Amino acid sequence: MSGVVTGWTGRFGAGLVALVALAASPASAQERLTVLCGVQEEWCKAIAVAFEKKSGIPVAMSRKSAGEALAQLRAEAANPKTDVWWGGPGDPHLQAAEEGLTQPQDSQYAKDLQPWALSQHRQSKGRSVGIYAGALGFVYNVEMLAKRKIEPPKCWADLLRPEFKDEVQIANPNASGTAYTALATLVQIFGEDGAFEYLKKLNDNVNQYTKSGSAPASAVSRGETLVGVIFTHDGINQKVNGFPVDVSTPCEGTGYEIGSVSIIKGTRKLDAAKAFYEFALSPEGQATGAQAKQFQVPSNKKAPTPPEAPNFEDIRFIDYNFQKYGTAEERKRLLSRWDSEIKSAGK
Amino acid sequence: MRHSSALWVVLGWVGFALLPWFSSAATQLSVNPPGAGLAGSALIDGLANGRWWLLPLLAPLVAGVGAVALPRHHSLHPWLLLVGGAAGLLWTVVQGFAIGLNGWNWPGLAALFGPLPQGQGAFGLGAALTMTAFLFQTTGGFAGLGCMKGDRFTAGAIGLVLLSIALFVFLPVGFVLSSAGDSGAGGFSPLALWTRLTAPDIWRLNCLYENRSCGVVWNSVFLATMTGLLTTLLGLAFALVAVRTGFRAKGLLRMLTVLPIITPPFVISLAVILLFGRTGTVTLALADWFGIPPSRWIYGLPGVLLTQTLAFTPIAFLVMIGVVQGIGPSLEEAAQTLRASLWVTFRTVTWPMMRPGVANAFLIGFIESLADFGNPLILGGNYDVLSTKIYFAVVGAQNDPGRAAALGIILLGLCLGAFWLQRRWLGTKSYATVSGKGDNGVPPALPTGVRVAAFATALPWAVFTFILYGMVLFGGFTENWGRNNSLTLRHYRNAFDLTWGEHGLIWAGRAWDSLFTTIQVAGLSAPLTAAVGLMTAYLLVRQRFAGQSAFEFFTMLSFAIPGTVIGVSYILAFNQPPVELTGTMAILILCIVFRNMPVSIRAGVAAMSQIDRSLDESSLTLGAGNLQTIRRVILPLLRPAIVASLVYSFVRAITSISAVIFLVSPEHELATAYIVGRVEQGDFGLAIAYSSALIVLMGAVIALIQLVVGERRIGRRTTDRLALQEKPV
Amino acid sequence: MSIATNASGVEFRNVTRRYGQAVAVNDVSFSIRAGDLVTLLGPSGCGKTTTLRMIAGLEMASSGTILIGGKDVTRLPATDRNVTMVFQSYALFPHMTVAENVAYGLVVGGMRKTDAAEKAAAGLDLVGLSGYGQRLPSELSGGQQQRVAVARALVLEPEVLLFDEPLSNLDAKLRRKMRDDIRDLQQTLGLTSVYVTHDQEEALAVSDRIIVMNRSVIAQIGSPTDLYRRPRDRFVADFIGGANLIEAELIGRGDGVAAVRVGHAVLPVPDADVAADLPLGGVLLAVRPNAIRLRAEVGTGNGVPVTVRKATYLGSHMEYGLTSALGDLFAIDTNVVNPVPAGTTVTARFADDGVMVVPR
Repeated sequence: MSGVVTGWTGRFGAGLVALVALAASPASAQERLTVLCGVQEEWCKAIAVAFEKKSGIPVAMSRKSAGEALAQLRAEAANPKTDVWWGGPGDPHLQAAEEGLTQPQDSQYAKDLQPWALSQHRQSKGRSVGIYAGALGFVYNVEMLAKRKIEPPKCWADLLRPEFKDEVQIANPNASGTAYTALATLVQIFGEDGAFEYLKKLNDNVNQYTKSGSAPASAVSRGETLVGVIFTHDGINQKVNGFPVDVSTPCEGTGYEIGSVSIIKGTRKLDAAKAFYEFALSPEGQATGAQAKQFQVPSNKKAPTPPEAPNFEDIRFIDYNFQKYGTAEERKRLLSRWDSEIKSAGK
Repeated sequence: MRHSSALWVVLGWVGFALLPWFSSAATQLSVNPPGAGLAGSALIDGLANGRWWLLPLLAPLVAGVGAVALPRHHSLHPWLLLVGGAAGLLWTVVQGFAIGLNGWNWPGLAALFGPLPQGQGAFGLGAALTMTAFLFQTTGGFAGLGCMKGDRFTAGAIGLVLLSIALFVFLPVGFVLSSAGDSGAGGFSPLALWTRLTAPDIWRLNCLYENRSCGVVWNSVFLATMTGLLTTLLGLAFALVAVRTGFRAKGLLRMLTVLPIITPPFVISLAVILLFGRTGTVTLALADWFGIPPSRWIYGLPGVLLTQTLAFTPIAFLVMIGVVQGIGPSLEEAAQTLRASLWVTFRTVTWPMMRPGVANAFLIGFIESLADFGNPLILGGNYDVLSTKIYFAVVGAQNDPGRAAALGIILLGLCLGAFWLQRRWLGTKSYATVSGKGDNGVPPALPTGVRVAAFATALPWAVFTFILYGMVLFGGFTENWGRNNSLTLRHYRNAFDLTWGEHGLIWAGRAWDSLFTTIQVAGLSAPLTAAVGLMTAYLLVRQRFAGQSAFEFFTMLSFAIPGTVIGVSYILAFNQPPVELTGTMAILILCIVFRNMPVSIRAGVAAMSQIDRSLDESSLTLGAGNLQTIRRVILPLLRPAIVASLVYSFVRAITSISAVIFLVSPEHELATAYIVGRVEQGDFGLAIAYSSALIVLMGAVIALIQLVVGERRIGRRTTDRLALQEKPV
Repeated sequence: MSIATNASGVEFRNVTRRYGQAVAVNDVSFSIRAGDLVTLLGPSGCGKTTTLRMIAGLEMASSGTILIGGKDVTRLPATDRNVTMVFQSYALFPHMTVAENVAYGLVVGGMRKTDAAEKAAAGLDLVGLSGYGQRLPSELSGGQQQRVAVARALVLEPEVLLFDEPLSNLDAKLRRKMRDDIRDLQQTLGLTSVYVTHDQEEALAVSDRIIVMNRSVIAQIGSPTDLYRRPRDRFVADFIGGANLIEAELIGRGDGVAAVRVGHAVLPVPDADVAADLPLGGVLLAVRPNAIRLRAEVGTGNGVPVTVRKATYLGSHMEYGLTSALGDLFAIDTNVVNPVPAGTTVTARFADDGVMVVPR
């Protein structure tokens, strides 16, 4: 009898060992460059293919929203598994830099880069650099505005117009980097108290604080709401997809995001990571955005700007202080104030 | 019996002296990296590379040899195994956690013993094998001392299940919960914990007396209570219709129960938006016909309540149908012979006997609603609930894992509180009437009022569900649903395109990669979940051991913790030595297995309690061991439970999102994560096409599993159900 | 292929089984000779089933030693003991045919399939079920299922064959037949069998020896005649065969006769049937119901006047409920032709046979 039992125990043990072996099997990610990608999936795929073709280094690309990416990098901090974080708003990249999750790097393309891209590099103490920019703006449903004979919004003040009662959507800054950029922008335009005064009034017109930054764009395109506050390239994306929407940027001035790239501190494939970093800043690498129908403005002056991209000449940008509004304390302070004064006020 | 102790002692030595102790897949050390193969074994590394802390393991290993060398039935034999195994296990774990990549993990140890010149990597094959060997030596020692009726298999199984649960449930959950008291400087502070737990935006009650929103806890509790009530009511109505009326289309009802379970997250929410959103089909029709102005009522409590009720009613139905069927008709007949009218019978006999079922159905609805993440995410509007708050506390702009952990503790507390209340209400009353005695009664008809109410509740709801799913399937074939309803195969081609290239078939569609990974993960985790779950159920039902009820409680823990918390906790716990799993497929599989295990356990416990214990005992007295008894007697009789666990774990592996979204690595993208990406982008067409394909795929797999596992002997087993219940009273 | 016999003895030495605080079996010692059929008899909860399960290895003794065939098996699990068991519920595997059920123990023990099938057929033949091999248990009647369970236990040629209330699910007629069949089979094969029942008639019918248990301890061990004729205490006297327990006084013993005073009368009882260590003084007189004879004449001889409270006609005999100065009595009389009607007062006399003396 015990012979049979042993046989079974043996098989049981073998199964266990097999499971352990499976668990410990060298993931093929070992040879690949692991990149967290913060833009739309089409673009992630396009740049991965282009880089692989150029360098012969295979890339494993994972699309993560900025928050998810930062959460993952933090959790991995003791023992990073990611090599490069590419794309997504510059703000969390700065946070990562502040927390020492990323490492400094200089690029041969520095001379060709737009000033805002270099400013990101400076503010992060070299740990991050801009690869594209997107302006904060409005997206509105052309058909429905026409039907109701409402003028499209052109300024921040327009959003307070009574026609837009319950017709504005903006993300919750506690959840979305886009909305935090908007909050910080308003504070820089109107001063902090002025901004909160404005937001309190806006609160009457807002029907929903969405959780994702780009959600207002798809709500507007389906007619669920008339106006949304978003990064304009998200709106353009809906327009290109055939929805009756258009975008505008506020006359009082607006903020922007600097899509950035950072090399993770402690990467085990530093050379490959550097190669990707350089490729992401090269005209060739930046051209992949337009190929993937993404309409941000590239940071390399020599890269072709897609015709659909917002013309930055026409936009009134504020001098966004990433240094100040990127720090954890300032962020926390503004967000708690927003939470107690705006969010809890009946919405 | 001694063979297997000897085997494990030998395997322990093999793991220690012959196999690489550290994992080669994990992070490699810069100082004195261990050699490959034999040279990397703990013995050689400990001697040659100066990792002296591995060498004390020799003592318990020698103790094992001593035990095996002793004559049979020597009284020292079990003691040596027990003490040696336990000491070995303990030392391996302690040194693993104490010494990390760069030496001591805790500054206190460095101060005490002086700094270490080098660290060590994550456990590898050798460490895993040796620890397993130590574990089975320990349990073998226990069995030798007469615990577990002297049964080594049972003792080993309990040890294995306990260790896995400790490793894959307690350890990660402990990591994340301890961060609730994170003071910000890396230490633990009770004050920080208290501040987080009592934050006003969690508990405030402003909505009662002014136009401000209430704390998120109240929102969650209110939503969960409503969902629990509605799903229970609907489930009861469906069960009464199915069992106690002459309703014919029972196949339809069955389908209704399966559909929401195999629906990927977000799909119902999307369909509801497209029907009831401000520009939804129904909304526009109402505006055209009745002049009701379109509004956004669907965003917020009503929408979430609607989708959750849609999603969880089938589960309540499954619980209630068992209860309604289980009421012995002769009891009701007895009531009638005592001159009770139909209505009085229903009120005084039928209803009171259904009460435990009602409590169970409510509890399940309540907890599912608390843990639900997808529906509030899409439809919640400004109605915050705990599960989404936790998610955004982790990934949102505030990035506060401590707050997430605090909210996680509160959510866990709510779930456990609900359990406790249910237990208290039901007490130890048992209303089970399925006994060994055949019940020849015919269930009486329902009183007219109840019947009408049941039909009036159940049928419109069923029609509504089917319309919703019809729209989902249809939506995948439209150009741009809601705007341009011309038919197209574009989305399916986009997702599942196949072309012939020079080298044969090219999987050109965008969905293939994630689909293949998903199927692989689901296919591997389903049998593992079923195995672990049924094994645990076997221990709970068939064995008696100290601390059993605590053990049972802890196995349910991972069910009550929201997926997001689990996902983060897995990264925190398994990203560095001694257990390093991030980036592998194993972490996905383990997470899914231990998250879905409770359901598998419940299915197993329910099924196993129906099998008379004398069947196993007779197998034992006939000379079969526990393993053989399980294989030859219990498993064949458990086929329905096995099918249920396999199906459930397979489907859950495919549809789960919140836990795995943190664990998917570039190599291992999962279907749901991909679909969520498409939804974010507003690409509903592809998302819905992909979801429809998944629904069809899961339907096919369910059919296949039933064919392979479930029905092999059906031709001769149709009358067997009776024999199963041959339990003497 | 035939079924051989490996009958062995069983011995319990000071065996105790505790569940937490509760003691199910308390310091029990006995030994069973090879080839005997011994019954464990007692009311529900007396520990008889626990004792049986400890022989099987389904329960582990908390302390004490259990020997089978002279070997210490106290710590050996059920699987490793050469003991088989017939369960109250039969415990036939519902997903296996009758033949597969019977061959089960052989197959898991490593016997070749064909040999096992052959032996299973022999086993089924032995219990008179040849030809039923391909049926499923659910297709058999209760009695047939019981036979399958016996065959399944027999084919392993166990050292000890255990029966756990095997007949309790059968109707009265079938129960008698099965009981005889089991006894025949046991005697033909010379099996050591331990048989649990709470039915004293069944126990008397089949056993070589009976172990009467009460409240976790052994009340008395003996042959059926021993227990019936010479119960050691009031429990055994009442439990086996039933008895009217009457307060009495042992006033003297000698010349092979013990004198017992009941009320005003003095009864002679054979001294051999009275425990030797029983001191003079207060005792209980245990009178079998059939030892009470009713006579119509009143007040003569040393009878006791009784009033018939209730008279029940049972075909083969009458049952009487009596009221008397000694208390309520219960009597059985085979005279059904001229029954004593209820309400009449008659004289009851005790027959010589069927009167016993037990301590109070």
